[in-house]
Amino acid sequence: MKTVFVNPQRCIGCRQCEFACAVEHSRSKDPYLAIFESPVPKPRIHVESGPWMGSSFPNRCHHCDPAPCQQVCPTAAIGRNDEFGVVLVDIDKCIACAMCAMVCPFAAITFHVQAEAAAPRVVSTKCDGCFDRIRRDEEPACVEVCKVDALVYGELNDLLREERIQKAVLAIDATTGVAPTEPDMLAGWRAWGKEVAHVAGGV
Amino acid sequence: MTSRIEKQSIAADAQVMLRRAHLEGIDTVWERLAAQQPQCGYCLLGVSCRNCAMGPCRVDPFGEGPQKGVCGADADTIVARNLGRSIAAGAAAHSDHGRDILEVFLETAQGETSGYEIRDEAKLRSLAAEYGIASDGRSASDVAVELAEAIFEDYGSRKERIGFLGRVPEVRRAKWAELGITPRGIDRENVEMLHRTHMGVDNDYVNILLHGLRTSLSDGWGGSMVATDLSDVLFGTPEPVMSQVNLGTLKREYVNIALHGHNPLLSEVIVQAAGDPELVARAKELGAEGINLVGLCCTGNELLMRKGVPMAGNHLIQELVIMTGALEAMVVDYQCIMPSVTDIAKCFHTQIISTADKAKFPGATHISFDPHRGLEIGKQIVRAAVEAYANRVPDRVLIPGEPVPMMAGFSVEAILGALGGTPEPLVDAIKSGQIRGAVAIVGCNNPKIPQDKGHVTLTQRLIENDVLVVVTGCAAIANGKAGHLVPEAADLAGTGLGAIAKALGIPPVLHMGSCVDNSRVLVLAAALANHLGVDISDLPMAGAAPEWYSEKAVAIGAYVVASGIYTVLGVQPPIFGSENVVNLLTDGLEGVVGATFGVEPDPERAAVLIRRHIEAKRKALGLPFVEPDSIAMPEEVGAGV
Repeated sequence: MKTVFVNPQRCIGCRQCEFACAVEHSRSKDPYLAIFESPVPKPRIHVESGPWMGSSFPNRCHHCDPAPCQQVCPTAAIGRNDEFGVVLVDIDKCIACAMCAMVCPFAAITFHVQAEAAAPRVVSTKCDGCFDRIRRDEEPACVEVCKVDALVYGELNDLLREERIQKAVLAIDATTGVAPTEPDMLAGWRAWGKEVAHVAGGV
Repeated sequence: MTSRIEKQSIAADAQVMLRRAHLEGIDTVWERLAAQQPQCGYCLLGVSCRNCAMGPCRVDPFGEGPQKGVCGADADTIVARNLGRSIAAGAAAHSDHGRDILEVFLETAQGETSGYEIRDEAKLRSLAAEYGIASDGRSASDVAVELAEAIFEDYGSRKERIGFLGRVPEVRRAKWAELGITPRGIDRENVEMLHRTHMGVDNDYVNILLHGLRTSLSDGWGGSMVATDLSDVLFGTPEPVMSQVNLGTLKREYVNIALHGHNPLLSEVIVQAAGDPELVARAKELGAEGINLVGLCCTGNELLMRKGVPMAGNHLIQELVIMTGALEAMVVDYQCIMPSVTDIAKCFHTQIISTADKAKFPGATHISFDPHRGLEIGKQIVRAAVEAYANRVPDRVLIPGEPVPMMAGFSVEAILGALGGTPEPLVDAIKSGQIRGAVAIVGCNNPKIPQDKGHVTLTQRLIENDVLVVVTGCAAIANGKAGHLVPEAADLAGTGLGAIAKALGIPPVLHMGSCVDNSRVLVLAAALANHLGVDISDLPMAGAAPEWYSEKAVAIGAYVVASGIYTVLGVQPPIFGSENVVNLLTDGLEGVVGATFGVEPDPERAAVLIRRHIEAKRKALGLPFVEPDSIAMPEEVGAGV
């Protein structure tokens, strides 16, 4: 079961995942045409800033199992595709009641007009795991466009093993005083943001 | 816990206006900054490139994704290209400003303008002497025409070095010649930078950055210096003058006009027009008591320096001044004028009047400025402001607090005048250690730093440790608001600096003018170096731009460092994507031009860095010194921010 894994410490806030997501969920799938479509396609991934300048987190549906949104949906509009492990919204069944958003642990659900609805109207809008792409054995659009590995796609346990290896390196660094894995220059860039937060009177 | 508004600005007048903005739902620069978060790390690190259509490209700063643009440029090349282009844009702004003054200077000498005259003939003749132009027995206008022609040559491509380089200490000029960074033409270096940073030209980051220094020098010792010195000839060389600062300079009973931007050409005739009896009578007819002019940013500084026109505030005040509901017109020329002012003006009766054909604003009334009809246009603009008074809603007027007195007008000539005509007393005070050194605190406001906090805190820490501070631009206005620019501020300084300021009757912080007047800082530094027979880089001097935002500030920082003065930036330049570029600018340049950049957003820590630098320079000169490393960082002495 492949999934998208987020490394928040890698995100540098460029928001290209948001743009790629909106284009992927447009009718034209073309960045030059998508911005002129009506309704304007919306991203289903949201990069929000962290506690200081230079920190950010790409937030999206994590396709939970069991999914709280699915459990509370009064019209059974939200279902799971077991083959690909993604939680999908049937927008024709959605009544835009926002129960799913209330229970989402990640606040990853928004409400927008979707062109695909039988009658265009505001419906529950969230990451569909790039269902069309992953069925073609392609990476999700946000992962493809992310050049810093803040978003990675693969078998969860493989990704977690990579993460474990990194954590092991960090743990050994911390206990032996070897240089951290974050490049010096990046640490310097981020240190400025933290210090500005301090100058402004705390985070 | 610091409140949201306290995090935005430390200035009391700004805080009142920010509360109003919040209550009325008016977005300001701070809301727009928040809406932009998170800002793209590629651009903040300087590793994104849009210079060609094979791109746009970006380099993964973690070292795992793409490390080269499509053309093959690595992070070093991309960062250097971007920084080079920023320097060129900043230098171009100053140089264009200088050219506008130069054109009017020539036309005035030819008798073709209205509202202008040569006010400082002595300075004209001394400039002519610098350019090797004989002036004995010739009329001022004759000399001025010949001088203007010579300075126009400095803009071109025919010279080996620009004219004002004669002011630079010989040893520094030799250093530039050896490095191949002698500025040859004011426009030429900018054009060459654009050429070099086109795809496939200069791919060597060191070579690009060296040309960046040359480009910046063509601004500091070229475009900016032309702007400063010719403005002095046209409008008078500044002398110490008392005035007032902050939003309290607006007067409820008067027609208030704010002059905003950078170029004194237009504001000069507005000042004349505002005294026109017919227009004053019209203002009274509409119920006002008269016409009140206030300045913003550097147009304001130019008027403050020469005429004592009060200052409404600095860069981040420009939106807030409209929110007083007491501003009839904001007259703008160019540079640092936010496009947002026309939006905010829609909530009030304020007229935004744009005047420069190269700087138009959707939503503003454009009155095209033409120096041939200067006074007539000045009157037209003032008339529009007076008529707008009829639309003022008295209930909407909210002028916060009382203005603070400030002293300005410290041109190099005025400083030397205060010292009795020679730098000797200042040099002696530095030699004895009564004054440890001198620091130029310059630059803008940036909403990423609480407004004025960087400028005011750094200034306070330096003067209390007997470091003379000179200020320009928005930094100077911040210090004015904080009460640093009055003779009584000598009490805020250490005993050494305080005693000297008291003896001379001057503030411990000297307002040297607008941002182009950073050229005055160069002239002062060169005069001190020449007096001592050393290089500028040997002086116990430093520069700081605690809250800079603009490309002009990048050019200024570069020319100050290239001239040999260590400079601390409070806001990170977009260079951290390249370790090589950072190392060059913060370390490697020491062996090249004898000065480097530092980056330190905390003014408490910046003050320590600067004081350590000054003491190290004192030590090298054989003057009494404190061991630099014995000056502790605030966190080492348990002091909080």
